[in-house]
Amino acid sequence: MAAVRNRQGQPSGAGQPGPLTGRGARTGLGAAGRGRSGQGAAARGYSGRKETGFFWYFLGGLAISAVFVLPLLWEVFRSFQPESAISAAPSGRTFGHLTTANYKTLLTGQADIIRNVTNSLIIAVITAALTALVATLAGYGFALFKFRGSAIAFGLVLLAFMIPFQAVLTPLFLEMHFLHLLNSLIGLALFYTTFNLPVGVYVMRNSFLQVPRELVDAARVDGASVITTLVSVFRPLIMPGIATAALYAFLFSWTEFLGALSFLTNDSLFTLPVALSNVETGTYGAVNFGLLLAGAVIAMVPCVIVYVALQRYYVRGLISGALKG
Amino acid sequence: MTLAKAPASRMSALTRRGTWRQGRRRSAQERRDTRTGLALVTPAVLFVSVFALFPLGFGVYISLTDWPLIGPYHFIGLANYENLVHNSVFLQSIVFTLKYTAIVTVPIFVVGYALAVFVRSNRRGSTLFRTMIFLPYIVGLVAESYMAVVELQPSSGTANFALSKLGLVSDTTAWLVHTGLALTAISVLVVWFASGLTMMLLMAGMQGIPHEIYESARVDGASWWSVERRLTLPLLRRSIALSLIISVVGSFLAFNQFFIMTDGGPGTSTVPVVMSIFDTAFAQMDVGLASAMSVVLVIVVGLITFVQFHYLQGDGD
Repeated sequence: MAAVRNRQGQPSGAGQPGPLTGRGARTGLGAAGRGRSGQGAAARGYSGRKETGFFWYFLGGLAISAVFVLPLLWEVFRSFQPESAISAAPSGRTFGHLTTANYKTLLTGQADIIRNVTNSLIIAVITAALTALVATLAGYGFALFKFRGSAIAFGLVLLAFMIPFQAVLTPLFLEMHFLHLLNSLIGLALFYTTFNLPVGVYVMRNSFLQVPRELVDAARVDGASVITTLVSVFRPLIMPGIATAALYAFLFSWTEFLGALSFLTNDSLFTLPVALSNVETGTYGAVNFGLLLAGAVIAMVPCVIVYVALQRYYVRGLISGALKG
Repeated sequence: MTLAKAPASRMSALTRRGTWRQGRRRSAQERRDTRTGLALVTPAVLFVSVFALFPLGFGVYISLTDWPLIGPYHFIGLANYENLVHNSVFLQSIVFTLKYTAIVTVPIFVVGYALAVFVRSNRRGSTLFRTMIFLPYIVGLVAESYMAVVELQPSSGTANFALSKLGLVSDTTAWLVHTGLALTAISVLVVWFASGLTMMLLMAGMQGIPHEIYESARVDGASWWSVERRLTLPLLRRSIALSLIISVVGSFLAFNQFFIMTDGGPGTSTVPVVMSIFDTAFAQMDVGLASAMSVVLVIVVGLITFVQFHYLQGDGD
């Protein structure tokens, strides 16, 4: 029966309970799973009193947003104050004195924070790349190939979603020790990749399920190899999914603390968040709150840049998870 | 999890093409599919097996031994679990973590819900507001905890400066060295940090509710409040369950903010469960006991997830 439908030229999944047709898959944000109500309806649902009170809505929105953004901006400002102004009682006299001294000391001084930033960056990039690669292959396999054990394998990957990594830290420490992966940037990246895979595989599987059926069939008939098809035919369609998986992994890795604290004991390998705990406790001499603030701002900036630039991919992943989770 | 309920029928769509062909061709095709499919998913399965599933089983095994960080170990049965019952630091950490979770969960949900109602429309500016409100979550609790440490210092931090100008506290209040004050400060920080995530999850759920349902309610003349209570809330059950699970489990696994802001102090009064596991394993080097604690944690977190999911999911889905 299914074959008949195919031959009638409706191979795009019409009549199946799937959330999206091929066309919807390419319309960008929000396409992640709005099938039930159609594209526009859901968005229109709440704007009955369209322009009335726009001014008040905007003003209220700015006030609310300020609560969430101003503290961060305030800390950026504070990080440019001299250390003496940060750790003394606030005074109007020193308030406006701005300096880059904290950053200079942090980046060139004993703390050698550049090395830690580099470590963080290396781990985050490896984690993002590995997660994207492994999740893409797995998503491809789960979505477009029928094979025995597929359901079990998919269940296994999602099971990692249910295991909090905080709770397997101790046995993992011993295992990493046996595998010579302690005090290794690669080791930490492998660990991060694992706990990003459930989300990544889920997102990528959905991306492949949204590839129009005609395209899948056509590629097959052509007899192109599996990898060639992936790279030359599917790539443009699954790029948003790959961006989502990589972005999640990057942000996870860049901000992760407990794993890095446990699996790295060599100062020169510390990631930025762990190195800052040395700054906080004054390992490099007296506690210097100026350095701490500058370091925290350095930790914050990449997140903000990456998120603001790629937020539609982030929100996409969040929404597809939320609607089906 | 319903995540696992993949529409298996759709995976087969590809091989359907073969169903009108002859049997032999089809089975050759199927064999090739099996081989390719397995090869494609193997790396992911390997990663998860090696770094998540194996440690889980290994942890159960270690918890039955007196494994020190270095040196030989012996099988000691359930002795570690018996010790847990008398381990005051661990018991205290469980009570403290439950208290902390109870304190932050409701504010995160209420604030997140209110924010979601505010930003769910597609009015001009709502996307910008979403981005800004979500920013603390993106930046991460670690960097923000360091900032909070600086700003919560007595007589130099911004918090005391502002609050004492308002006459609320003395400007010498030492937030991080009193249990109650530290818990208060960390809770406020976490609510500020996490309500953006709840907002996003609930907003996604709200936007998934069909428009027509609201139209008919409006025609019936229902008030905004009763629409929200009778329509949105029940239809939002799945999203509410998800956001509560994420925030409750997140609170239960809290570590970073406590490590950075109080290091468990004063004394051990602000030690959360994960920190007591961490200390047992890496400071006291009692890996067996730490693993027993981890097993308890996995079970508790699993139970929380299961109960909340079933309770809120309803409808037997």
